[in-house]
Amino acid sequence: MELTALVFLPAAAAVLILLLPQRYAKISKWIALAAAIAALVLSVVLFFSFEHGAGYQFVERYSWIQIAGFDIQYALGVDGLSLPLVVLTTFLTVAAVLVSFRINLRERAYFASLLVLATSVLGVFTALDFLMFFLFWELELFPMFLLITIWGSGRRDYSATKFVLYTLAGSAFMLVGILTLASSAGTFDLEILASSVFGSTMIPLSVVFAFLFVGFAVKLPIVPLHTWLPDAHSDAPTAVSVMLAGVLLKMGGYGIIRTCITILPDQAKDFDIVFATIGALSVLYGAFVTFRQTDVKRLIAYSSVSHMGLVLLGLSGLGVTGLAGATYQMLAHGLITGMLFVVIGLMYDRTHTREISQLGGLARQMPLLATGLVFAGFASVGLPSLAGFIAEITIFLGAFQAFEWAVILAIFGAVLSAGYILWTLQRVVFGPPKSEWDSLTDQNQWWEHVPVLGLAALIVLLGVYPAIITDMLNPTLEFVVARLSI
Amino acid sequence: MPVYFLVTEAGVPSISEGILWAILGIPVFAFLIIFGLRQRIPELTSGYISIGAIAATLVLSIVVLFNVIGADGGIAIHTHNWLSIGDFDFNLGVRVDGLTAIMLIVVTSVATLVQIYSQGYMHGDPGYRRYYAYMSLFATSMLGLVLADNLLMLFVFWELVGLSSYLLIGFWFHKPSAAAAAKKAFIVTRIGDLGLLAALLLIGTRASTFQIDAIHELVLAGTLAGTTLTLFGLGIFAGAVGKSAQFPLHVWLPDAMEGPTPVSALIHAATMVAAGVYLVARFFPIFEASPDAREVVAWVGAITVAIGALIALVQTDLKRVLAYSTISQLGYMMLALGVFGYGAAVFHLFTHAFFKALLFLGSGSVNHATNTFDMGKMGGLRHTMPITFITFLIGSLSLAGIFPLAGFFSKDEILAEAWIENRTLYGIAAIAAFLTALYMFRAIFLTFFGEYKGGEVVPEEDKNIHFDGIPSVPHESSRVMTIPLLILTIGAIGAGWLAFGRTFHEFVEAALPEPPHHVVPFSYGIAISSSVIALSGIATAWVIYQKKLIPASEIYKTAFPFARLFEHKFGFDWLYEKIFVTRVFQQSWNRLIEQFDTRVVDAVVNASGTIVLVFAQGVRVVQNGQVQLYGVVLGVGLIAIVIIVFIANPL
Repeated sequence: MELTALVFLPAAAAVLILLLPQRYAKISKWIALAAAIAALVLSVVLFFSFEHGAGYQFVERYSWIQIAGFDIQYALGVDGLSLPLVVLTTFLTVAAVLVSFRINLRERAYFASLLVLATSVLGVFTALDFLMFFLFWELELFPMFLLITIWGSGRRDYSATKFVLYTLAGSAFMLVGILTLASSAGTFDLEILASSVFGSTMIPLSVVFAFLFVGFAVKLPIVPLHTWLPDAHSDAPTAVSVMLAGVLLKMGGYGIIRTCITILPDQAKDFDIVFATIGALSVLYGAFVTFRQTDVKRLIAYSSVSHMGLVLLGLSGLGVTGLAGATYQMLAHGLITGMLFVVIGLMYDRTHTREISQLGGLARQMPLLATGLVFAGFASVGLPSLAGFIAEITIFLGAFQAFEWAVILAIFGAVLSAGYILWTLQRVVFGPPKSEWDSLTDQNQWWEHVPVLGLAALIVLLGVYPAIITDMLNPTLEFVVARLSI
Repeated sequence: MPVYFLVTEAGVPSISEGILWAILGIPVFAFLIIFGLRQRIPELTSGYISIGAIAATLVLSIVVLFNVIGADGGIAIHTHNWLSIGDFDFNLGVRVDGLTAIMLIVVTSVATLVQIYSQGYMHGDPGYRRYYAYMSLFATSMLGLVLADNLLMLFVFWELVGLSSYLLIGFWFHKPSAAAAAKKAFIVTRIGDLGLLAALLLIGTRASTFQIDAIHELVLAGTLAGTTLTLFGLGIFAGAVGKSAQFPLHVWLPDAMEGPTPVSALIHAATMVAAGVYLVARFFPIFEASPDAREVVAWVGAITVAIGALIALVQTDLKRVLAYSTISQLGYMMLALGVFGYGAAVFHLFTHAFFKALLFLGSGSVNHATNTFDMGKMGGLRHTMPITFITFLIGSLSLAGIFPLAGFFSKDEILAEAWIENRTLYGIAAIAAFLTALYMFRAIFLTFFGEYKGGEVVPEEDKNIHFDGIPSVPHESSRVMTIPLLILTIGAIGAGWLAFGRTFHEFVEAALPEPPHHVVPFSYGIAISSSVIALSGIATAWVIYQKKLIPASEIYKTAFPFARLFEHKFGFDWLYEKIFVTRVFQQSWNRLIEQFDTRVVDAVVNASGTIVLVFAQGVRVVQNGQVQLYGVVLGVGLIAIVIIVFIANPL
């Protein structure tokens, strides 16, 4: 029951908000905050009551649809891989709600959409039935589309449509893969699929693997399937950028580990070189394009392409180290990029510009926000003692065992990221203060302090006490890797 | 049985582990308190907290030193597991031995003096608290680097040192030059860090350990050998090249002078820039075993010695003279390591820390009185600033290598080591020794002799530059600044005397798993010739800049192409920044990729959208609302699916 409560609590709050009469619209943000905090508390309780081990825990299984010999289940559960991502999601949901406190356009629809988004992501991370996984995967598109088109900026209709179509195109491939596997094994159950040996299938298994991979890779994203991301980010409101970079991208990496690698280990071994190549390519390509960006949000979006390339590079190692590094990078990137978007969003609320050339010297007028940006920037650069470093070093070690050349290429990303981040800091917060920003205030509301400080605290925690995650992660990944070595 | 017992009969230092972690932890608390409370503590208190913390670590470091001396330079290692992932154990551990003990003393003693001095220098700065917070952060990072017992932890603190350096160089971030210099320092050193990272990955995957002692043992056992060993050594050295501002990554250090002068004294002269030398010394067995890696170290060191000394000759800014001098002196240390001179390198690191910190703080004192670093606007300060003058003079004599000051002993040893190993390297080092004396005394004569040229007026818009008084009437700095100068002078004079009886050397060599390859005896020939070289450098400076028998402008004209070359710093900045970073990287390569991204990758996406749209226009004809037609299509489709399924899966 815990997981059902966790997954549907935000959606239930969304329904409640939608039922509010118009004159109570102002309290919708408080309902959203209460629901988000409740979900966070629940997920943290689960996190600490989880017993370190390989299998799923808090499992709920109900027969849902019986059709054509298939028993489609309502099945939820978490293991060492998904539980940290669940906590990341609930945590970022709270942050997203808080940074939305300024929203005053159609609040009820806004906060309801945000909460439905949280439910769909939580569903993806906890579903143990492949069809259910897919339904949650698709559900996410509705709130995202609304959030970008109604509360976005710039070419928001174009960006939202591009986002939806891109994901749908990937999902089409994924669905073919899911149906092929399910029809061969006679079940959608992810746990059974993970121990199945597939005989002859309609479509060769390597093609199934590729189809599933494409579906997830669009979300990750990888080069060259990434161009939806900068558009979506630059036109989305702050909270959506936080959720998008923070958790939506992670659904891609999670899906690859949970399904591609776990269900089709033999094919994964053939594809490891593809992971390494695309991973290293994404790291470098993303970094090069980042250097040319003039809009801060687009800049962070492209840096995400680069950083998510590391996830794929880690997966190429196909060992516990590489997979752990990839997972850690998902968590670290979620927090760090989430924080970057929060801080940039708060700056944008004040300056109403994201053009780097128009900003500058903000450290004088907004010392707290500037400190936040410098902190998150260095976290993004992979400074040791912060979360990103653990992820990077683990990914590099894991992948180096398999593909030395790819790692040697990818470590140049460490210099490139230092280059574009520090250059951005120099142009945005340092230099002579500009008089037009003199009248602006620094970060000054409690709902601004809390997400910034909270994210910073978690980034430090994951940087200095990584065992809190890795001890949970190791047994699960050892199970995955054991299947690879058969 | 640990290998080091084969070498000496040293015991294991009995120092309690808690003290070692306390050395690391005390400055962290100071940082957290000052940074966390910010405006809530009085300005001066933030300084006292930071100074108290660093003084406490100094006391503990002295305890450690005596403990290691008591154990005859033995080694103690305390390791704890930090996290385990897959095949890898990441450990947190402290290692204490002769080398660590010396580094602890250098770092904490210079840091304490610099922080005391800063109370005067930074007085009235709006960022006073922030300054002390960063200073404490730096202390922690540097102490962690020195204490680390494994390469991974060393790398962690290595990067944190880079962060504190960035924050302190860019301390006056409203100045575009300071913001740019901070960025440059971090990025350039990070290029070197790629090598260190690669070395880390190599040793981690090949040897499954990051422990320094384990790596040493693998080298001695011959397990770590050949190309892997050389690559590992070169990777380590690449990191050192970045941090210790060696050619070709030396370009960041002169720009780092944008930071407050006490920062330059502590970080960019005495401690952080010496971290690269420390790193190579720490992994010295690797370089002993790999002639190729050693050769690279020696030559990079020699080139750096020469470049630094030549550029220092033509600088007009007192602080930049010292910056290039630092580059050159760090080159000497690397050169020493490249010719088996482990003891000589560490010894020079030790003495250099005192006299170079002294010189930098002296230049800060001058700056306080004149509001400038431009030597063209100084002159005659020996009358108005007697303490600064005397201490600066002693520091310069020590740097020039005049008997019996500290620099004489350490530089002399490096020359002796080079003489035995490679005469060409010796030649470069000896010529540079002449140049060292020349550029330092050029600076002395321009700054302290002749007529005072009025300093610089305080610009209205820039209130953060430290200055009290009137530039036209220079005065001696306050006691909080001169007393640290006087204490450092003691080091600049006497630190070299530890060379007698090889006391210092035996102490730091006990940190090695094997006795050094060769012990170079004191040679009167080398000592006398290097003294003559130094004295002739001073004499040349006297002739040109004091007596003006040969006008400097004449020399400039005669040696015009060279002088221009030196003035333009051999064109490194131009090549790196204008040509490579701007033209090649940003305006060509990145632009090409970006254009490809928008005009090819994204264009394909948009085009496929358009194609679908056009196609849909055509298909709309069929969607005419006639339910009968829909029914027919539905039925045909269903039959087709059933047939396909049956063909694919025969019953």
